[in-house]
Amino acid sequence: MSIKTFTSEILTSTDVNNYLTNSGSQYITSTVVGTTVSSVTITGAFSGVWDSYKIIYSGGVGSTSFHLGLSLGSTATGYYGGLIYNNAASATPAGALDSNTASFTFAGGGNTTQALLNCDLHNPFLARYTLINASNLSFTNYGTYNGALGNTTSYTAFTLTPNSGTITGGTVTVYGYRKA
Amino acid sequence: MTRPNIQIDDEVREMTEAEYEALLATGWTLEGTDETPTAG
Repeated sequence: MSIKTFTSEILTSTDVNNYLTNSGSQYITSTVVGTTVSSVTITGAFSGVWDSYKIIYSGGVGSTSFHLGLSLGSTATGYYGGLIYNNAASATPAGALDSNTASFTFAGGGNTTQALLNCDLHNPFLARYTLINASNLSFTNYGTYNGALGNTTSYTAFTLTPNSGTITGGTVTVYGYRKA
Repeated sequence: MTRPNIQIDDEVREMTEAEYEALLATGWTLEGTDETPTAG
C-alpha cells in the first residue's frame, strides 16, 4: 500500500477501509476463557493470509502456579525448545528444555494472581516447521523461550494447556502480521 | 472423580474420558507445582 498524505478535512470511507485492510497487524480472533478449564482450544486461528502471528493470553489466573503449554492442532509430540531464565533472587541464568515433548511447554505461565502468554508463532499454516518466540514470566522467574515443532503439518487451530491445575478468566487474542 | 473442563472457542464442557486420558498422557497433573521452570 502506498503512503497517502491527507490534505483536506474529508476522510473517505475508501481511505479508512484501505488503511484498516493494510494495517501492519490484523486482529483475527479472540476467546474469553471460562472457569476452571484444563485447556483452551482456539479454532480458525491460522490461514494462508498470514505466515506469522502474535498470540496473547492475559487477564486470567491459575488455580496454582503453572507453565502454559501451546500445542498445534491435535499434534502431541515433536516439540523442541529451550528456556533461559533467571530467578529474581539470582542473576545467574538457568535453563530448561523441551525435547520431543507434547507441547511448547514454556510458552507462557502464571500463578493464582496472574497469567501471561505473549508469543510470536511462525508458519503454523505453511508446510514448514512451526517456530515460536515467547516470554516466560512468573512471580519469581523471568525468561525467554524459543522452540520448533518438527513437522510440516498445516494447522488452523491451537490449544493452551497449563501443566498443572486449571485456568480461569482472561482472553486469548490472535493477530496476524501482514505479509505485504 | 469428576473430569476437568475443556474449552473449545467459547464452549466449555466436561472432558470426555478419551480427552482426559490424552491430557494425562502429556504429563498434566491437577496438583500444584513450585515456581521452578523445570517443574513442567
